[in-house]
Amino acid sequence: MGVKLNHSVPTDREVILGILNHAEDVLHKLYVGYFPMILQFILNNNGDEDDAKDVYQEAIIILYDKVKQGNFELNSKLKTYLYAICRRIWLKRLAQSSRKTNNIADFEDVLAVDDDVDAYEEKDRQFEQMKNAMESLGEPCRTIIQDFYIHNLSMQEICDKFGYTNTDNAKTQKYKCLQRLKKIFFQS
Amino acid sequence: MNNDILLEALIEDYVNGKLNAAEQLAFEELRRNNPQVDHRVVTHNVFLERLHQYKTVLDLRIKMDEVHQEIDVEAISAQVRPHPSRIVRIWRNNRSAITVAASFLILASAVLLSYYSQTRQEGNLQLLDRKVSQLNQSQNHIIRVMNSGAGKSSTPATPAKFGGTGFAVSANGYILTNYHVIKDADSLYIQNNKGDSYKVKKYYMDPINDIAILKVTDPSFLNLGALPYGVKKQSAEIGEEVYTLGYPKDDVVLGNGYVSSKTGINGDSVAYQIAVAVSPGNSGGPLLDNGGNIVGVINGKEMKADGAAFAVKPRYIIEALNAIPKDSLNKRLSYKKRNTLLGMKRDKQVAHIQDFVFMIKVYN
Repeated sequence: MGVKLNHSVPTDREVILGILNHAEDVLHKLYVGYFPMILQFILNNNGDEDDAKDVYQEAIIILYDKVKQGNFELNSKLKTYLYAICRRIWLKRLAQSSRKTNNIADFEDVLAVDDDVDAYEEKDRQFEQMKNAMESLGEPCRTIIQDFYIHNLSMQEICDKFGYTNTDNAKTQKYKCLQRLKKIFFQS
Repeated sequence: MNNDILLEALIEDYVNGKLNAAEQLAFEELRRNNPQVDHRVVTHNVFLERLHQYKTVLDLRIKMDEVHQEIDVEAISAQVRPHPSRIVRIWRNNRSAITVAASFLILASAVLLSYYSQTRQEGNLQLLDRKVSQLNQSQNHIIRVMNSGAGKSSTPATPAKFGGTGFAVSANGYILTNYHVIKDADSLYIQNNKGDSYKVKKYYMDPINDIAILKVTDPSFLNLGALPYGVKKQSAEIGEEVYTLGYPKDDVVLGNGYVSSKTGINGDSVAYQIAVAVSPGNSGGPLLDNGGNIVGVINGKEMKADGAAFAVKPRYIIEALNAIPKDSLNKRLSYKKRNTLLGMKRDKQVAHIQDFVFMIKVYN
C-alpha cells in the first residue's frame, strides 16, 4: 500500500444520502476525502495533477449520476468504487494516448466497473455535444437559453434583464433561440 | 410563426405538466392525430433531457472546481508522488509484501536458532547411580560385608547391582536419595561409612523431582541422634561454594565446587548446575554450603561436559519432607534452626556429616 493518507472521509451512507437529498456539503467532504488517493494513483502512473483532477471529477460525476438514477448498490466501499472508476478511465486515457500502460501501480483493490465507465462515455459525448452547440449558438441566445433552462429564470425576469418591452417578445426570442440550438444540437 | 411559438409553449407546458386536465386531454388528442406534433413533443423531450443533463454536470463541475481550489494539491502531491529514489518507490509500492517477507525471515531464523541451540544444549544427562558390578568393585564390597556384617542376618549374600548415596533426614532412619537410584529396586539396603548395612524400604517417591525417601526397617538400626545439618529454603546462588559427600566407591568421597548455573540440564528449573566433580554413585548425595546447610541433592551430570553436574534444589527436599507425617519423623531435618556445623572448618564438618550419609545398595 502507498503512503498513508490521513484525511477525514465521510461515511459511505452519509455520501449516498447526501447526494440523493442534494446536500451541499457532501460534495465537499467527498471530494476532499478521496482526492489524495486518486492523485497518488495518477501521479504514480504517468499522469500529472491536472489529469488527476479531470479523472477524479469524471468519477464523481459518474457516481452522482448513478446514485441519482437510484441504481447504485453499495456492495463495495465507496472508496473502492471511486478508485476503480478512476483507474478504468485513466487506463483508457493512457491507451488512447499510447502512453505506457503496463505495470499499473495499484493502491487499492480493483472492481470491475467497465459498464459504468462505458455508459458515462456516452453521456460525456452528449455533454460535449450540448456544450459545443451552446458555444456556437452566439449571444444573446446562449444567455437567454441558459438563464431559462439552466438558471431557471422566469420569462418576466429574462424580459427585464434583456430589456424586452413585453414577455411575448421575450418568448418569441427564446423560441427562436431554442429552435436554433435544437438545430445545431441534432445536426452535429 | 406565431402558431409555432404557441405550439412550442404548449408543448413546454405539457412536458412540464402545467396544463389543466381538459387542456391535457385536448393536447393528447392533437398529438395522436398529428404525427408532426407528436414528433415535436418527443424531440423536445429528448432535448430537454439532454439540456438537464448538461445543466447537472455543469453545476457539478463548477462546484467541484470550487472545492478543488481549496485543496492544497501541491502538498498532497509532494506526499504521494513517486519518490525520485527507486528503492523508496519499491518500498512504498510493496510495503506489505516486504513486511510479510521480513517477518517470515525473522520467524524462520528464530525457529532455526532455537532449534539449533536446543540441539546444542541437549546434553546427555547421566544419572549417577553406580553399576557396582560393572565397576568391578564387588570384591572389596564382599570382603567388607564378610568382615563387618558377620553377625547380621539381614546382610545380603550377593553384591549389590547398583549403588547410590543417601542422607538422613531424621534421626530415626528416614533416608533421602534420588528416585532414579531406587526406582527399579527389588530390595534396598543402606550402608554407613563403617560398613554396616541395614535393610530399608521405599517410603516416598517423587519421580518428577527425582526424590525418594527410604525408611529403615532393620531393627538393629540405632537412632542417629540430632542431625548436624539443616536444609536451606532458598537455592544457593551462582558462585556459592558447595560440597558433597557420596559413595562413588565404597568409602565416602568429598566433592568440592561451586554453583555454576541457576538451571539444570536444558533449562530445567527443578535443578541447578554445579561445578563439582561427581562420579557414578554420587546420585542422591547431599549438596551442602559452607554453613553446613543442605542446598540440594546431587542427581546427575552432563556426559559431554566436564565439571557440569546437577543437583535438585532444596525446595523439593522440603516438599518431600512435608509429605511425611510430622510425628513419624524423629528429630527431623530442620530448616529453621541454625545448625551445629556453622563456623566449623570443612574437615570438621565432614567428620560430623559422614555418619549421616549412606551408600544405597540396590538389588534387583
